[in-house]
Amino acid sequence: MAASPPVPHRYPNTMAAGDVDPSLPGNGDPISEEEALRRLRLTDDPSAQYYASWWLGRNRSRHPDAVPLLQEALRQRRPRDPGAGVEENAVARNAARALGKLGLPAQAAIPDLLATLEDEDHGLREAAARALGDLRAEAAVEPLRRRLASGPSVAGAQQPGTPRLQEPCEALLEALGDIGVAEPPVLAVIEPFVAHERPLIRSAACRALLQLTQERRWGDQLVQLLQHQQLQVRRAALMDLGAAGWREALEPIASTLAEDSLKLIALRGLVEHHPAMPEASAAPDQQTVAVLDAMDALL
Amino acid sequence: MSTSVLTPDHVIALVEAVQRADSALGLLQATQALAAAAHPGGASCLVEVLGFNNPGAAVAAVDGLIAIGEPAVDTILTNIDGYNYGARAWAVRALAGIGDVRGFEVLEDALGNDIGPSVRRAAARGLGQLKLDRLAPSQRCATAERCLQALVEGCRDGEWVVRYAVVVGLESLAPALHPELLEGPAAQQRLHEALIGLWRNPAEEAPVVQLRAALALQRLGVSHG
Repeated sequence: MAASPPVPHRYPNTMAAGDVDPSLPGNGDPISEEEALRRLRLTDDPSAQYYASWWLGRNRSRHPDAVPLLQEALRQRRPRDPGAGVEENAVARNAARALGKLGLPAQAAIPDLLATLEDEDHGLREAAARALGDLRAEAAVEPLRRRLASGPSVAGAQQPGTPRLQEPCEALLEALGDIGVAEPPVLAVIEPFVAHERPLIRSAACRALLQLTQERRWGDQLVQLLQHQQLQVRRAALMDLGAAGWREALEPIASTLAEDSLKLIALRGLVEHHPAMPEASAAPDQQTVAVLDAMDALL
Repeated sequence: MSTSVLTPDHVIALVEAVQRADSALGLLQATQALAAAAHPGGASCLVEVLGFNNPGAAVAAVDGLIAIGEPAVDTILTNIDGYNYGARAWAVRALAGIGDVRGFEVLEDALGNDIGPSVRRAAARGLGQLKLDRLAPSQRCATAERCLQALVEGCRDGEWVVRYAVVVGLESLAPALHPELLEGPAAQQRLHEALIGLWRNPAEEAPVVQLRAALALQRLGVSHG
């Protein structure tokens, strides 16, 4: 059985959606919703639970059991078992990610995700932060802000002996941008991270500030990061410009050196996350058509 | 550099430079030079590059094969069964870009069955831009209808980017399904219905797909609400 669903990328999945036919390509191991729920109940088989959590999020399950089962999975902790191929807390992390994708029904799980944001596991805090951002959970603004308040030199300092920072700064910053509370104390905590030594953190901070303020200076910095020598940084800047819907980046996005698939995701963001996103039922305006034309050229 | 000033020796030298390349960057540069020549004599070598697991060079090779156009199609099709997955994906992209009807079955199969969304996306676009006017009228209609059928099935793809490419494919296929070219308006109507379905799909997770469908309908002059 496929136990390695794709790693979620930075592009927040915020669109509500209905069922996707799992027998078609791109929808993962073809199992039914009932089967996914059954596997999620198998608390002695973490790799089945891991896949089931991912499946329910990927297919935007609306089943009434999905959220309660994911809430339970979010509390599941087990010792690391390398033989099982599933790391400690892997099921809980996937449950958090899935909750982030389930939209309205998952609002009930916000208190659980807020508790998870205080977990000692760095990866779990990261997944919880992203899910809270996906769910636009305003209750998370203060705890997210508090985790970042010590600034780049403490929260953003590297942990000795690992490549990790003290806090999952990228996820925390992105969540604040996605939730969209643009109050001065929030902006004041994000701003210092624009000077962080790591370009990926700078990119996340600019993204959040651009989402919250629509100020050109943050968009300009992201466009500059599209020229960065590392592909990984260019990719992040692409996703961040898309998340902020910064239309002025259309040309730089189309011409940066990165995969067409990622440029298409970024351009989709320029269409959908622009403050003046047209109704999908109406014919698009001229500016939107320019973005669509650029997308057509990348197919 | 245009084809007319290239002698066979030039092409051989460019091919040898690709074969001699001993670094990723060297391969990229040599492939770009051979691709820029757009000479049919370079097609076999460009097809080989598709299998080298060097994405930059593969992009250049695809561009070169598209620039060579129809004379490259046989070489691509003769080799396609022996391709590894990555090379096959690049070959689909090349065939989609060339638009030769001999590539139809590969594109049809890729849109329906390939595991890579970027391959299905290229195939959907390619199915809308085959050069059908080179065919005899009876064959032209049959092929256009098969393109339509493949794209209609692609409307249910699980990836938004593939559905987006299906919209683009349907829009560009529309002129080939004009009622005057076919026996009546049935196929054109199916095409319009497919676009309206994508535009109205209540389960669509990507509003950009709906917007693109609305634009296609507007460009085709279909009133849709």
